Amino acid sequence: MSDDPVSTFQFLGLTFSTANVVSGLVVFLLVIAVVFFTSRKLAMKPTKGQNFLEWLIDFTNGILKGSIPAGDVGKFGLWGFTLFLFLFLSNEIGLFIQVATRSGATIMRSPTSDPIATLTFSLMTMMIAQFAGVWKLGYKAHFANYMKPFVFWLPISIFEEFTNFLTLGLRIFGVIFSGEMLLGVIWDLAVSHGIVTMIIALPIEMAWQGFSAFLGAIQAFVFVTLSSVYISQKLELEE
Amino acid sequence: MLSHLVVGQTLYFGDSLFYIISFVLLMWIIKIFAWGPVTKMMQDRADKISNDIDSAEKSRTDAASLVEKRQAALANSRSEAQTIVSDAKSNGQQQREQIVTQAQADVQTMKQNAQKDIEQERQDALSDARNDVADLSIEIASKIIQRELKADDQKALIDSYIEGLGKQHES
Repeated sequence: MSDDPVSTFQFLGLTFSTANVVSGLVVFLLVIAVVFFTSRKLAMKPTKGQNFLEWLIDFTNGILKGSIPAGDVGKFGLWGFTLFLFLFLSNEIGLFIQVATRSGATIMRSPTSDPIATLTFSLMTMMIAQFAGVWKLGYKAHFANYMKPFVFWLPISIFEEFTNFLTLGLRIFGVIFSGEMLLGVIWDLAVSHGIVTMIIALPIEMAWQGFSAFLGAIQAFVFVTLSSVYISQKLELEE
Repeated sequence: MLSHLVVGQTLYFGDSLFYIISFVLLMWIIKIFAWGPVTKMMQDRADKISNDIDSAEKSRTDAASLVEKRQAALANSRSEAQTIVSDAKSNGQQQREQIVTQAQADVQTMKQNAQKDIEQERQDALSDARNDVADLSIEIASKIIQRELKADDQKALIDSYIEGLGKQHES
């Protein structure tokens, strides 16, 4: 597996991975489709689609409310909602659709099974946290927070930023990537000895797919939860 | 599949840029199509519900005060009716007594008047009779005195007396 070729292309002097761009676009369109078709015919008395959308909004707002102070939740609501929906669909889509070219290069899988994508979202969270801290407390108080509880804490605080960034991005990547890889391994097992292994592999595949779907939902939830925790840490003055 | 994960070989910064731009774009599209209208609708609903609760509370208190007022008015009218009835009763009693005493007094005066009249009549009759007797005795006496003079005129005297009686009766 390790010698699978990766399809790339150059654009404006930057290297793009075809798989990431294609699967990212698919999830992008899927998210738009979901919110577009559930938000038609909005009414005071909600119908099916609106009910679902409002439930989802309440759910992501609930995640944010868990750590961010109530007065600031409204400013991060849209971000949390989009992030959760995008990550959730990203995690799940690879379990059902995986497309590869004839040469073996994957062009369609979970966007979140690539660390570059998850670390991008992680970096976004860290940037938002920094920005929110400056916006809420001002430059002085924000950077003074790094030297709490005492000045020599500064290196640990800075180091913590990097570890937060890495763990946040790599956690979701690890879970989704391993889930997809194991699906591939089970598929290899299924086709190894014809019909017999197919029958053996089928329940394993089903069980693992269900488990991965569950893990994908959990990871999207965890990502948004931890993001809001990191942001809320920057929103308050440390003692 | 794993080769592209090795840091240092090739880093697809383009992907990073692609994800950031598409995510921001996605947020913008969601805000326009869903987030804005839906959150507005949710806020409207929350406002409407709180308004409904307030107005329901208000109408409930209104109804309660109305009921209280009605009850007070009912009790008031009942006591009023009672006083009217008792007033009428006492008035009637009073009037009855008045009428009875008036009647009794009337009867008394009428009786007295009647008695007085009767007495008057009797007195009148008595005096009349007395006058008659006096006249009669005077007449008899005069006749007797006339008769003494002439014995033979006795017969004539009696006759005249009888005649006189008859005349008197006639008159």
